Amino acid sequence: MMKMQPIGRVLATEKHPTTIDKFCFWTDANLKLHAFDVVKVERADGSFTYGVIENISHITDAQSFLTNYISSDFGNAEINAPTLRIGMNYVDAKVSFNNKNNETPVHNNDKVFLATKEEIVAALGLDKIKNPLVCGSLRMYAGTRNEVSLPVNLDGKFLLGPEGAHLNISGISGLAAKTSYAMFLLKAVQDCGMKKNEEDDEERTTAFIIFNVKGQDLMAIDQKNECEGNEQEKEKIQKQYVALGLSPEPFKNVKYYVPYSSERSSKQSTYLNSTDMANYIRHGQLKKYKYTYEDDKESIEMMFSNIDDPQQTMESIIAKIIDENDMDFKSLTIWNEFLEKVSEKAQKSDSKGPKDEISILSWRKFKRIVNKALKNDDMFANRADKGRNECRLSDEIKQIKAGEIMVIDIAKLPGDKQSFVFGDSLRTVYDLKQDVFDNEPNVNPPDRIVVFIDELNKYAGKDTPKNSPILRGILDATERGRSLGVVLFGAEQFRSDINNRVTGNCSTHAYGRTNAIETTKGDYSSIPSTYKNMLTRLEQGEYILQNPIFRSLLKIRFPKPIYKQFK
Amino acid sequence: MAINSKITDILEAETGAKSYKAHKYSLDNEMRPTVDYGGESNENIWKRTMETTIYKAPIDLSFLAHKLSANEEQLFTYFLDGSRRVYKVDHQGYAASGTGSRMEIYPILAGQIGIGCCKREDKKMKKEKFITETVISVPDKADADGKNGFFPALAKKINNSSEDLQRLNLEIDTVLSYSTRKDVKNDKEYEDRATARIQDRMIEKEKEMVSTLVREEKLNQNNYLIKDGSLEYRPTKEDRKDKRKLIKFQKNYAWVLGASKSFNPSACLDINGKPNPGFIANLPLYHRTPVACFSNPSIFGDMKFAVWYIRIRDQAKTRTPFDGIIKIEKMLTTDDENMYGMDSDLVDTLSALIINERNPVCYGADLRWANHIYPMFLTENFVKSRYISTDSFLQLF
Repeated sequence: MMKMQPIGRVLATEKHPTTIDKFCFWTDANLKLHAFDVVKVERADGSFTYGVIENISHITDAQSFLTNYISSDFGNAEINAPTLRIGMNYVDAKVSFNNKNNETPVHNNDKVFLATKEEIVAALGLDKIKNPLVCGSLRMYAGTRNEVSLPVNLDGKFLLGPEGAHLNISGISGLAAKTSYAMFLLKAVQDCGMKKNEEDDEERTTAFIIFNVKGQDLMAIDQKNECEGNEQEKEKIQKQYVALGLSPEPFKNVKYYVPYSSERSSKQSTYLNSTDMANYIRHGQLKKYKYTYEDDKESIEMMFSNIDDPQQTMESIIAKIIDENDMDFKSLTIWNEFLEKVSEKAQKSDSKGPKDEISILSWRKFKRIVNKALKNDDMFANRADKGRNECRLSDEIKQIKAGEIMVIDIAKLPGDKQSFVFGDSLRTVYDLKQDVFDNEPNVNPPDRIVVFIDELNKYAGKDTPKNSPILRGILDATERGRSLGVVLFGAEQFRSDINNRVTGNCSTHAYGRTNAIETTKGDYSSIPSTYKNMLTRLEQGEYILQNPIFRSLLKIRFPKPIYKQFK
Repeated sequence: MAINSKITDILEAETGAKSYKAHKYSLDNEMRPTVDYGGESNENIWKRTMETTIYKAPIDLSFLAHKLSANEEQLFTYFLDGSRRVYKVDHQGYAASGTGSRMEIYPILAGQIGIGCCKREDKKMKKEKFITETVISVPDKADADGKNGFFPALAKKINNSSEDLQRLNLEIDTVLSYSTRKDVKNDKEYEDRATARIQDRMIEKEKEMVSTLVREEKLNQNNYLIKDGSLEYRPTKEDRKDKRKLIKFQKNYAWVLGASKSFNPSACLDINGKPNPGFIANLPLYHRTPVACFSNPSIFGDMKFAVWYIRIRDQAKTRTPFDGIIKIEKMLTTDDENMYGMDSDLVDTLSALIINERNPVCYGADLRWANHIYPMFLTENFVKSRYISTDSFLQLF
């Protein structure tokens, strides 16, 4: 191996001392270094202290701007001086570790070197990862002859439990490619999960539930990305996947679920076109989901997740509806009867009858909300006809098998119904992993179920009412799901909008490109200011990743999606 | 003697003196102290003009400077600066003659000398050479016997006995002695004498470095050396005796300029050869004075020095009329030069290049920014950066 030349020396002054955490070093002004690059410092005891670059500053001996101005003959921009003003770069680095546990600060004038590939891996804590799960690749010393590129592995147990679980991805729409990154990780889980793990005797099984919230985005994840006929691009992407140890194939074992709407109806509830739909149905890959009053009335509360209910009157009504002994509602079986009953309740009461505890005004409010949701929506039906590829979503989730991917399409549903579907599904997953359905036939859940939902802020935002059933469900999943095997991959535009208890329970955080207003929020206070500024400049396909296994934040890249893209 | 003795203890033991453990402090209170060593001595013989063209007025070089700058032409490659830091480290007493216990007390001074030469390559400064010396200046009476070799032996003894020196990887390069002649007005004068010895040593080292550069053939018509301060290198006795050596010595200095930031205005001659500081003060921007010449047979023998002044900064933008003026000296080295004076074209070119050195400035970092040229400033700072801190240095004594 070529011996590395020192690139600079450590600086320690009275005002800028080196500490256990940080050090500075000077380097040539023309040397290309980048934030997140790893450097090593040679210590007197023969050990090496590794550091990650946080900031690079360029200074000259000019005492003030005025000095420079005067140096141009008091403002002549054409002047070329015969000597360049002396300048240097100094670099702030955060200590990552010392290979002999020497934690004392590095000393003034200690030599600083670039690190080798092996050293970078050790410095970032990537060398002792037990259950490797590739989460991207990183590039060091970009644009120099020492450029190093290497795959980055997470410890699967710190992403999917039981050591740590849940992922939060944030970044502005379009530029951050949040969905693509989540899908890349799911692909890695699917691929790596299928490999035999040498350390565990038994292989942990995983299934995935993915919500499609935008157009047809995730409605063809088992089909190849043809890159619009650009073979070169296609080959490049496939090579990138292979280099990261993943198969160059799209997702396997995928089933799609779209909201039911009558074929005769002019208003379809999915963006999937009829040809694709017919194709999927022919291959047994697609079902249309329905909700029936008898089985799904308990989920009605999900429609009220974003509705303020300070007097808890809606809650009282819902409690009344699902009460199996309630005189009014216990015998109802279909939505129409239910709506009629609600209408009845919302009318002026008969003065002869017993006085209702719930006011008419509350009933009217309730009626408005359920009417809006249920009326003219085919999804809320009397029964699901299995012979016509119809299903109840909960039943399908209960029967999810290891390795399966369920894509649930909610893209075309209005907000309240999206909440309804997501809330109902999450509750079913949680109950499933809590063994609530163990006595039902065909229920054999895998060890872990990963649920991916975009636009998490709709369900677990800071301004979501505290008694929202969906927020409760998400909190349950994030706080207790780690041990149960329920893993939430959530994505949102602005991380600062998300309930702190939700983000606090995520073991892995992926920060994509965001805006400057967002980075001034308290959620980003633990991120060094240089990195914060970098967040506003990240390119598509780049993320800053935080995981307890890594010794510092990592800037990673990931390849473009391997599955079909819709423009 | 214990290995970890302080240097003052070793001196006390070796010279039979009594140390009074005086307060130790640095004698330098300016950024860089300068001691004039006869630059404008009264014994200097001035000649009004010493160049091939006779000028009656200051010469405008702004066009030439602009032209040279546009073509990026350059002749100044090497920059040399020497400096020293002087510390008073002790008072030591020697028994006076007589039967009583009367003591004669003299100051003991120590100094750090640094001589640095930087080379300019691709507009960037690089170290060419650097030498440093640690010296002690003691009264001549410290040598009780008055024998040759006492002071070198003393230096050796100190180096072997001081663990502090060894730890810092330092050694006393020489022990200098100053005269204890009693023609002093006050005790302060002994300090000055001791300082002057250190200053002389520094000049000696500067000369050595110039000689080395010349010997290594680094200097030529395309690679001039600018030395900070006055340029009064006298030839040695050997040089003077041997005509061939003298010619070589003179030839060596053909490519050396002395650039002084400060000078004695009263010694400036005007067009008529009369001392007239106003002539210099009113020198227009980017103009030079005609070349004057001085000699001093008692010091320099036949050597003659050409002297001229250049204004590199606008008088309206400096604090005093003499800010922004640089005094240039050059040894007259050829027969032609000695007879007809310097070639005016060469003087113009060198002066225009000096004018181009006006940028960048060290404004804010040095009060003398208007008279400083940047490469010189960097060389000076390079030398300064190599000194051991005052606290560490004084701990040795």
